[in-house]
Amino acid sequence: MYDWLLFLHVLAAFMVAATAVMYSAVALGASPGGPTIRVADVLWNVGGLGTLILGIWLALYVDGYEIWDGWILGAIVVWLIAMGTGERARDVLAEGRGNFTALHWVRTLAVVALLVLMVWKPGA
Amino acid sequence: MTLLAAIRPDDWNLPLFLHLVGAMTLVGALLLVAVSLAGAGRGGSAAVVRLGFRGLLFAALPAWILVRVTAEWLANEENLDEDPPGWIDIGYMTSDTTFLLLIGATVCAGLAARRAGRGGPQGGGLNIAVVVLVAISLIAYLVAIWAMTTKPS
Repeated sequence: MYDWLLFLHVLAAFMVAATAVMYSAVALGASPGGPTIRVADVLWNVGGLGTLILGIWLALYVDGYEIWDGWILGAIVVWLIAMGTGERARDVLAEGRGNFTALHWVRTLAVVALLVLMVWKPGA
Repeated sequence: MTLLAAIRPDDWNLPLFLHLVGAMTLVGALLLVAVSLAGAGRGGSAAVVRLGFRGLLFAALPAWILVRVTAEWLANEENLDEDPPGWIDIGYMTSDTTFLLLIGATVCAGLAARRAGRGGPQGGGLNIAVVVLVAISLIAYLVAIWAMTTKPS
């Protein structure tokens, strides 16, 4: 059970990170085309939901973790920032106005920060 | 068991973090290349063909190197480099095999980008070859992610 939860949680994290990489190409000036953006958005939605649900499930399942641990609460806050800026970046890109690049890099930084929290688990 | 799974020496954190950054960048770059080229069809635009080549050369290959170097670092930290368990063997097998596929894909993408730059046909068969090689690599990485997380002995 633990192995599958972890595998799916990590897979969801890969989807979120893949979106950040795919949108980075756009932020750097490339035009990957509509299908690529649509796939990136689906990965973001599925991965975003998957990391949160499976992450909370893992926190409840693993004996050494509690849902109110500082690093887990911090990760939820950073997750909210990542999802918020990600959604906004997507809208701004679709509308063609606003600062897509800044929003995207904030989202990417938040994804990296999530990874830092997941690896170092400060306070665990 | 689940408590033991949560405990990891601090010395492993940096190589693990870099390993994950590399792996996630690698998978993201390969998805970008595969979806862009597949989405553009047989005759993708010159910009998409160039993106495929640059994505492989400047993102996927450096990320592969980061993954491989940090894998060695981690195996050394965990004292698993002498007699590696099965799940590490899966990782080595995956990375070594896909390196050849990525080199092949990069060469094909480079040739396609060169043709497109000269105003010739926009990829065609070369684009399809890149998509196939990258897709096989992505499937292999899915297996590798499963092996790294579930650690079958």
